Amino acid sequence: MSENGLPSPNHILYVKALRKTFGFIQALRGIDLELFHGEFLTIFGPNGAGKTTLIKILSSLAKPSSGTAFVAGFDIAESPPEMRSQIGVISHASYLYDNLSALENLIFYAKMHRLENPEERAAQVIDEMDLKARMHDPVGVFSRGMTQRLSIARAIINNPAILFLDEPYTGLDQHASENLKERLSVLRDAKRSIVMITHDISRGLEMCDRVAIMADGKKAFMGHIDDVDKNSFEEFYYKTIANSRIGNSIK
Amino acid sequence: MKSYLAQIKAIIWKDVLSELKTKELFGSMFIFSVLSILIFIFSINLSIVNANDVGPGVLWVAFIFSGTLGLNRSFTLEKENGCLQGMMLSPADRTAIYFGKMISNLLFLSAMEALILPVFMIFFNVDIISVLFPLLLVIFLGSIGFCVLGTLLSSLASNLKTREIMLPILLYPLVTPVVIGSVNMTGRLLAGEKLSEMTKWIGLISCFDIVFLAVSIMTIDHILEE
Repeated sequence: MSENGLPSPNHILYVKALRKTFGFIQALRGIDLELFHGEFLTIFGPNGAGKTTLIKILSSLAKPSSGTAFVAGFDIAESPPEMRSQIGVISHASYLYDNLSALENLIFYAKMHRLENPEERAAQVIDEMDLKARMHDPVGVFSRGMTQRLSIARAIINNPAILFLDEPYTGLDQHASENLKERLSVLRDAKRSIVMITHDISRGLEMCDRVAIMADGKKAFMGHIDDVDKNSFEEFYYKTIANSRIGNSIK
Repeated sequence: MKSYLAQIKAIIWKDVLSELKTKELFGSMFIFSVLSILIFIFSINLSIVNANDVGPGVLWVAFIFSGTLGLNRSFTLEKENGCLQGMMLSPADRTAIYFGKMISNLLFLSAMEALILPVFMIFFNVDIISVLFPLLLVIFLGSIGFCVLGTLLSSLASNLKTREIMLPILLYPLVTPVVIGSVNMTGRLLAGEKLSEMTKWIGLISCFDIVFLAVSIMTIDHILEE
């Protein structure tokens, strides 16, 4: 982390002492994170660790109680529209309208992102996600895997600098999970910056450059994937969570 | 400014397209309005009571209650699959989202009102043709106030489990001055008075519309944010 509390030009994500409180509940208790352009960060953590809250704050859906965060060079406290045009989010919610077709959904989001030729761009990303045969079908009849592919199309339609993925493998069968992994590989290989939250340790470690563990609203661990033993990571993960909880209860 | 208007237009396009496919919103609003008028027509003895005296109240009951149905449904649809968050993740200003939804609601309400007026005219046997344009202006002013405030409060209520109950509880007391003014002017128009004699009521409704709009613009950011 830089000494002056500000990100360098190489940072795509820079978070310092981020806190979020809901009434008496401290969802985030001072998170520090950093990610450089083109890197893939996976964040692990149990339920209630604050991972989704973190993503919501970084994607401007919620405001922090204190602390600073910069996403794609923009201060989230100001949350300018230009910042949101640099962000793509894939969540367990699809953000898609069931009674509109795949193409209509993407045209809508292309228009909301102020893209020139929204129809053309929508058709292009649909083609990239191999959904051309179903682009006129209502999203409500799509399978979970197809909906997730369409969600990826929606998230990348504005060519964002950073993608936030909140439990993207949830509800997917083996085939759909493999499909999603392929799509994410393409995005990673294209040097797109990605932050992924997942419970799935093996999938989470497959593609990332950095790995972090969150517990009870704090960052319990962060390191480069090369410094992590993938074979024993699961054991390390549970030990880290347990130590973090013991530490918090002593405090 | 151009992109701001384009985003509002995109939201309206999406809502109209969605409604053309499902006809869910409009269908329920229209049926509810017709039913309201039918119930009143069967409970009122028009040979004793003057239609011009009770008609305006019945008309606005139909508009307000069916409009509430529409407002509730409008944001419920956005809550499904997290679509409201999807819009908030775009570069659209929160007020653009508000205006898009408000204009969509106003369009659906106005379309429903345009269809209900002939039904009202037939069942209550009142002549609205001779006062059509002033009546439409009064209905428009009242509907704007209802939709401006209703859209704000439905976005607030959509976060609550008891949203169907909360929206009327929040909305009706606040929109009462607009409704009273609209009912009053409708009655006087049907009785043969000229619109130029009702400038105070027009001024009152317009003021409330402007205040509702100003409050909505100032607060929508906080309401939509988690």
